Amino acid sequence: MVTRTVDLRSDTVTKPTEAMRAAMATAEVEDDVLDFDPTAVRLEAEIAKRMGKEAGLFVPSGTMGNLISVLTHCDVRGSEVILGDNCHIFIYENGGISTIGGVHPRTVKNNSDGTMDLDLIEAAIRDPRGEIVYPTTKLICLENTHANSGGKCLTAEYTDQVGELAKKHDLKLHIDGARIFNASVALGVPVDRLVQAADSVSVCLSKGIGAPIGSVIVGSKSFIAKARRLRKTLGGGMRQVGVITAAALVALQENVGKLESDHKKARLLADGLNQMKGLRVDPVETNIVYIEIEEGLHMSAAKIVKNLEERGILVMEISSSRIRVVLHHQISASDVQYALSCFQNAVKGGQTENGN
Amino acid sequence: MVKRIVDLRSDTVTKPTETMRAAIADAEVGDDVLEHDPTAFHLESEMAKIMGKEAGLFVPSGTMANLISVLVHCESRGSEVILGHNSHIHIYENGGISTIGGVHPRTVKNDDDGTMDIDLIEAAIRDSKEEITFPTTRLICLENTHCNHGGRCLSVEYTDRVGEVAKKHGLKLHIDGARIFNASVALGVPVDRLVQAADSVSVCLSKGLGAPVGSVIVGSDSFITKARRLRKTLGGGMRQVGILCAAALVALQENLPKLESDHKKARLLADGLNKIQGLRVNTSSVETNIIYIEIEEFSGTKAEKLCNDLEEYGILLMQTGLSRLRVVLHHQISESDVQYALSCFQKAVNGVNHENGN
Repeated sequence: MVTRTVDLRSDTVTKPTEAMRAAMATAEVEDDVLDFDPTAVRLEAEIAKRMGKEAGLFVPSGTMGNLISVLTHCDVRGSEVILGDNCHIFIYENGGISTIGGVHPRTVKNNSDGTMDLDLIEAAIRDPRGEIVYPTTKLICLENTHANSGGKCLTAEYTDQVGELAKKHDLKLHIDGARIFNASVALGVPVDRLVQAADSVSVCLSKGIGAPIGSVIVGSKSFIAKARRLRKTLGGGMRQVGVITAAALVALQENVGKLESDHKKARLLADGLNQMKGLRVDPVETNIVYIEIEEGLHMSAAKIVKNLEERGILVMEISSSRIRVVLHHQISASDVQYALSCFQNAVKGGQTENGN
Repeated sequence: MVKRIVDLRSDTVTKPTETMRAAIADAEVGDDVLEHDPTAFHLESEMAKIMGKEAGLFVPSGTMANLISVLVHCESRGSEVILGHNSHIHIYENGGISTIGGVHPRTVKNDDDGTMDIDLIEAAIRDSKEEITFPTTRLICLENTHCNHGGRCLSVEYTDRVGEVAKKHGLKLHIDGARIFNASVALGVPVDRLVQAADSVSVCLSKGLGAPVGSVIVGSDSFITKARRLRKTLGGGMRQVGILCAAALVALQENLPKLESDHKKARLLADGLNKIQGLRVNTSSVETNIIYIEIEEFSGTKAEKLCNDLEEYGILLMQTGLSRLRVVLHHQISESDVQYALSCFQKAVNGVNHENGN
């Protein structure tokens, strides 16, 4: 039976478009380790310009983007970084900042909107007078949009406040901006204004922007020079990398403009799901939707996920009562309607069993 | 003035061919982190099969391939790895196995042919259980072909003997096989036989094979599973990576057969250079595609000057010492390029002679 597949597991599943494939096939390339690949240089300069930073560096993944950023800011033994207890770097990057980079994490509670309380951040900064037993705080990391909180946006005002706090204590500020363009579009704030307070930002091209591979780190020239060296050490120095960065340049052009529509689709889906008895959807700001399965439905997330899969709807099981879906430009409005009808079908069993 | 460029700095400069570009454009892809990109899977399986190992893993670079291999074999704290004092891992990988991986290097002298004395290797093995001040040796690394020693080949007999030493002492053996295909072709030994004794091999696709990006690590299923996780940790987990693997698959098909001709061009160039007064090449040590050139003292020039002079003619090469140059041949250097390069070398050296009133 031919099933229509609607892949809502992540915005990383986006496949390269015809225009991207054509760009990759004709990309101008050079050895980016021996010299500079011209297409990589173009992409790095473009992203740096858009972010209002001095320079950029293309890396194979967001994980490497964050790893390099943290390790470059924390380049002295005995460093500590303050970050959210529910942030991607802390939860989903294999603890690499510690296991690979020797940096100690100090977590501060993430609120449901993705922020951390400013006083809690400040309280977590280590007092140099205690240095005999303390590591040295070097860096604060924010994440915008905040994935685990449901793609929530950190405002420019909040970001600026954290930036001031960092400056006051002579710390750096890094933004995990994997989905920073989603934040910028949702808030209606130019992306360079949004990240103005940050010393560095890591930006994913392979998520909603739709490129096949990669992220770009942006920061000062001296930061990027160090980052380039660390990238080589980690093994991220690729040769004729222009074949990938060409696709990213197309992605920037084609898909930033489509993010607003991804947010609309997410809201449409969320509204539809919220109307189904037994499901409750957290507020949606961008392209990520978290679905709580209410107790009264007596259905596990696993059961619903499996049921959906049989109809070609792919989603992510987060826990026994929580499911996540992520919208992207290769999900159409008709896909959203189809997904809604499949969800309705899937929960009907639970609704009927309870005589609802 | 349009200058003819002959780029002999490295075989990494190879650009993707039309067929590779077409393959990149048509590649079937998937999210290689969430599941498996089908083209990556195809490449990894193909490489594993060619190397006679259970599984493979595509990585962005040879540096990452070696880093992952060393760190997976040396996953317990307090590990030590034995490797050549002049090996690529020790010299040109930013000391990453230590600074990133916490593994201690124990170097053993590389001989001119790229080998290390078996007794010296054995003497370097240590166990922290025997002596409280020792780390524990976990791994021996070989490099084939050996880059810094002029692309020399390690024979299958030598590799097997090192493998036996490793087994005898409960150690693993990793081969930095960035240019393993060059070795296989030059020795006339099938590549799987050549690396039979190794627990893991890292193979570059972006060098003589000419792909734009990447290497593949091969080893046992369990080794590769751990390697995949470490690759993610280091940030090498790429999404629709099939676009790069498609090019690599074409490279394997198109350029493997051309390596022999790269070696012929290297011998041609080496012989010609050796005949130039003021230059000396140990032609008997040119086994594959790498040539080291000594500048004789009486020539009155140094490597830096000769490099600059040659660059004016469009000949790009690498300075590796005050009086030492390196050239590397690859499939995008033609025989006519080789002749042109020879004539430029001659002119450049003559030019110096002129300046020195010779």
